[in-house]
Amino acid sequence: MTISAHPNGGSAIGVAPPVSQQGEARCAPLVPKRLLVVDDHPAVRAGLRELLADVADFEVVAALATAEAAVDVAERERIDVAVVDYQLGGRNGLWLSRKLKRLARPPAVVIYSAYTDGVLAAAAVAAEADAIVSKGKLGIELCDAIRRVASGHRDLPAVPPRLADVLRRRLDHEQQAIFGMLLAGIRPAEIATTLGLSSAGLESRLWAMLRRLETLPTASSP
Amino acid sequence: MTVIADQEGRSKEAAVGDPHRPSDGPHRRYLPLLYRAAGINALLVLAAVAVTIAVLAPGRVSSLALDEEVLVLVLAVILVAIANVYLLRRVVGPVQALTALTRQVDFANLGQRMPGAEQSSEAGELALTFNEMLSRLESERRDSAGRVLRAQESERLRIAQELHDQVGQELTVVLLGLERISWQAPPTLCDDVTTVRNAVRKSLDDVRRIAIELRPEALDDLGLASALAVLAERFSERLGVDISDRISPDLPALPDETELVVYRVAQEALTNVARHSASSRADLTVEHARGRLTLTVRDYGLGLPRHVTGGSGVRGMRERATLIGATIEIGNRHPGPGCEVRLEVPLRA
Repeated sequence: MTISAHPNGGSAIGVAPPVSQQGEARCAPLVPKRLLVVDDHPAVRAGLRELLADVADFEVVAALATAEAAVDVAERERIDVAVVDYQLGGRNGLWLSRKLKRLARPPAVVIYSAYTDGVLAAAAVAAEADAIVSKGKLGIELCDAIRRVASGHRDLPAVPPRLADVLRRRLDHEQQAIFGMLLAGIRPAEIATTLGLSSAGLESRLWAMLRRLETLPTASSP
Repeated sequence: MTVIADQEGRSKEAAVGDPHRPSDGPHRRYLPLLYRAAGINALLVLAAVAVTIAVLAPGRVSSLALDEEVLVLVLAVILVAIANVYLLRRVVGPVQALTALTRQVDFANLGQRMPGAEQSSEAGELALTFNEMLSRLESERRDSAGRVLRAQESERLRIAQELHDQVGQELTVVLLGLERISWQAPPTLCDDVTTVRNAVRKSLDDVRRIAIELRPEALDDLGLASALAVLAERFSERLGVDISDRISPDLPALPDETELVVYRVAQEALTNVARHSASSRADLTVEHARGRLTLTVRDYGLGLPRHVTGGSGVRGMRERATLIGATIEIGNRHPGPGCEVRLEVPLRA
């Protein structure tokens, strides 16, 4: 997914230090992106927090262990990007993403997971996550993904067509239509208008879809 | 007599096709019940006839005159002997059939039963109880196969979770630390740090791959056909082997453990294709015909080496197949190139 950005880690270290002078140069008054880190593993959480705090254009607002705590913080504080582990012990990263996207000022969501494949990508579509990053790429690639989603891009791995077919069969007709539109990158507000749904109606359908897609043998669930 | 028994024994052995069966000795060391009973009866009849003649017509016996009465008596004796053998055969026949069936009973070939199992005779009763015993054993076998498979699966799940929760997380922490160090390291150290970091990434990838292979996919939720389609998709995606799957859409409902074995055999076979075959494509086929489910995984690669001993993967496939009474053939394709794994599962009516 992000391989193309840095085909070899070696040169990346030399050329693109994370303390992004390039970024500073581009947008002169540097407004750091406000990040929320969510991981239930204390050492990983601490490591990620320190790593991201080292980056000049990032500010880590909080590093939390649970999805519920993250929703609380995101309701009170302005968050630009939530950086979330897929597995959180209780509620998972997709649940959190779905919750965060209901907020008045929804943050962008980057989900990282040991297993990133089409199945997780499909569920992430229903959860409206913006990017998926493999756990092996929690360095410069993660920083790049954060910057991209903060500027409004989406960066999900493609769902292979045959897999999409298998998944689609798990959804009812209306959900299939919503799934197809989300896959095509259409924003939920537009989808609601097209299908003549209220935003609450769409929301309940998205939750139902997420539940159906998540009961899959996703490589991302233990 | 011994010769006949010998031939019988050998032909049965050939039909069963398992030379390791200890009870299937070629030599029968006794005279069959039928001949013993028939012989004794014949002797008794002869004795009776001799006595009758001696009592009723002692004069004629000494004269050895071959008149009509003697002829009638001899014919009568022969008739009695034949009727005797015929009747005895009807009684003893089921016992011999039972012996033959007992030799053939095999968990690779479930569902065999004695015909004529009814409470109309001792033989019928014997067949009836024998069939009941077979049913009991088969159901017990199914239960224990299910238990073994479930135990294997839960153990695999546990290991996969441990790998992910422990080793994977710790490696992630190391990787995060190395990233930070690499950002601050002086240029002279950059290459070394990068090398180490790439090694850790590789380990993390390995842990993830092993955990994925160990993890049971939710067959119960998707059903066998869809689960296999997803499996093929994942293999194509991750390992760069182009897998074309042809899965019969109308698969019958199968017992859980059967689905699990079919799935695991497919997974193992595809893993072998990716690891050893050097083939860039493979076919995955599941068909359902004439009371059998057939899974075939075919590749177009190097084929098996001449003296393949079969690693733990191949052994695992065989063991799993045995648990559900299925047969598995693993071999090179003729004409080649490549190798084929074929699993045949008999379906119970």
